[in-house]
Amino acid sequence: MANARALDKRRKSIRNIRKITRTMELIATARFKKAMDRATAATAYTQRISQVVADLAQAGLQVSHPLLEARDEPERGMLLVLTANRGLCGGYNGGVIRASIPRLKELREAIPQVNLEVSGKRGIAGLKFRGIKADRTFTQFDDQPGFDEVEAIANRYLDAYITGELDRLDVCYTRFISIAKQEAVIETLLPLGTLGDSPKEESRGESTYEFLPSAESILEEVVPTSFKIKLFKCFLDAAVSEQIARMVAMKSATENAGEMIKQLSMTYNRARQSQITGEIMEIIGGVEALNN
Amino acid sequence: MAEFQCVIVTPEATAIDCMAEFIAVPLYDGEKGIGAHHSPMIGRLGFGELRIRSRGKETRHYVDGGFVQVADNVVSVLTNRAVPAGKVDIDSARSQLQDAIKLPSNTEDLQQVRERQIQQARGQIHVARRANE
Repeated sequence: MANARALDKRRKSIRNIRKITRTMELIATARFKKAMDRATAATAYTQRISQVVADLAQAGLQVSHPLLEARDEPERGMLLVLTANRGLCGGYNGGVIRASIPRLKELREAIPQVNLEVSGKRGIAGLKFRGIKADRTFTQFDDQPGFDEVEAIANRYLDAYITGELDRLDVCYTRFISIAKQEAVIETLLPLGTLGDSPKEESRGESTYEFLPSAESILEEVVPTSFKIKLFKCFLDAAVSEQIARMVAMKSATENAGEMIKQLSMTYNRARQSQITGEIMEIIGGVEALNN
Repeated sequence: MAEFQCVIVTPEATAIDCMAEFIAVPLYDGEKGIGAHHSPMIGRLGFGELRIRSRGKETRHYVDGGFVQVADNVVSVLTNRAVPAGKVDIDSARSQLQDAIKLPSNTEDLQQVRERQIQQARGQIHVARRANE
């Protein structure tokens, strides 16, 4: 039987770990709520944009824009990988990295020049470990990505796409489906393909809209905006998913620590008991020896 | 006085949701005033000052492009940023203007990019100046 004091020491250290993981869980919960609120606030904008698109479509406008059309022979591609700056969040970072590597390989085979951009220290380190070098890295995005920061990146992509320096953009991130489910996905954001998430949005004002200056000009503005919004949504989703992943990981770590403490307590009690029994036996043995 | 609902939405949040009597929006080519019961309209916004008059009080914001949609007596402004006029950073706008002027403009696309940057910076400077008056 192990030494009772050593067991007690171990139990104490696990208690400390449990305290830490419990705190991290609570922090992640609070951050998740904040990130979730932001993501919900962003949907108001998305909805209104898709409504404008629906109104434009109802006005009989053919939706066509250079950003929507795929290029015949893409020469320059880009893969953006969104990971977290911090670890201890279960399979979150690993999932994104594992999803991005095959796609990067696939892209490099199909397109002559593919650049890789990575956001998050974990992703940078994880890909570096696998021998993949990122062309550009970002570490400024935490649990609350700001639109300004995302817009700066989006504008750079848009400018590159318009001037022909970029033909395709893929984003690898963790999509938030529900609180219980998030998955690492890869989406092609440029060319955009379709506009808005729900093109069947009901139009409000019938087709009596007056367009200033013209429906075409508004479409010209809507398309880049919806690209920016899509990219922003990727960042928001990634932030929310990260917090959920951390919450879940820390919750199970806390539970696991609790279980270990239980086990150790049992072993410790047994060890203590046997120690006491041993001591009593020694005393009784001594008494017996004296009596004889 | 007749009122209408005025909603200003940015990608990060709904900046303003209030009842207003009058709102002036910076369209791509100049300002447009909108009162209650305006006919349905979708307009493209430029970079400039948005004024809302609500119960005799006027508030000013800088809006950064986007759209305005008017329907059913609701004015929705969709913009990238809506900054209260007093909080516009005039120094960073000035430096953006300096940088933008230096951008190349040898092709049509590059020219557009440059033009946009310049307009954005000038819009901010204009709003900030008016707020400081």
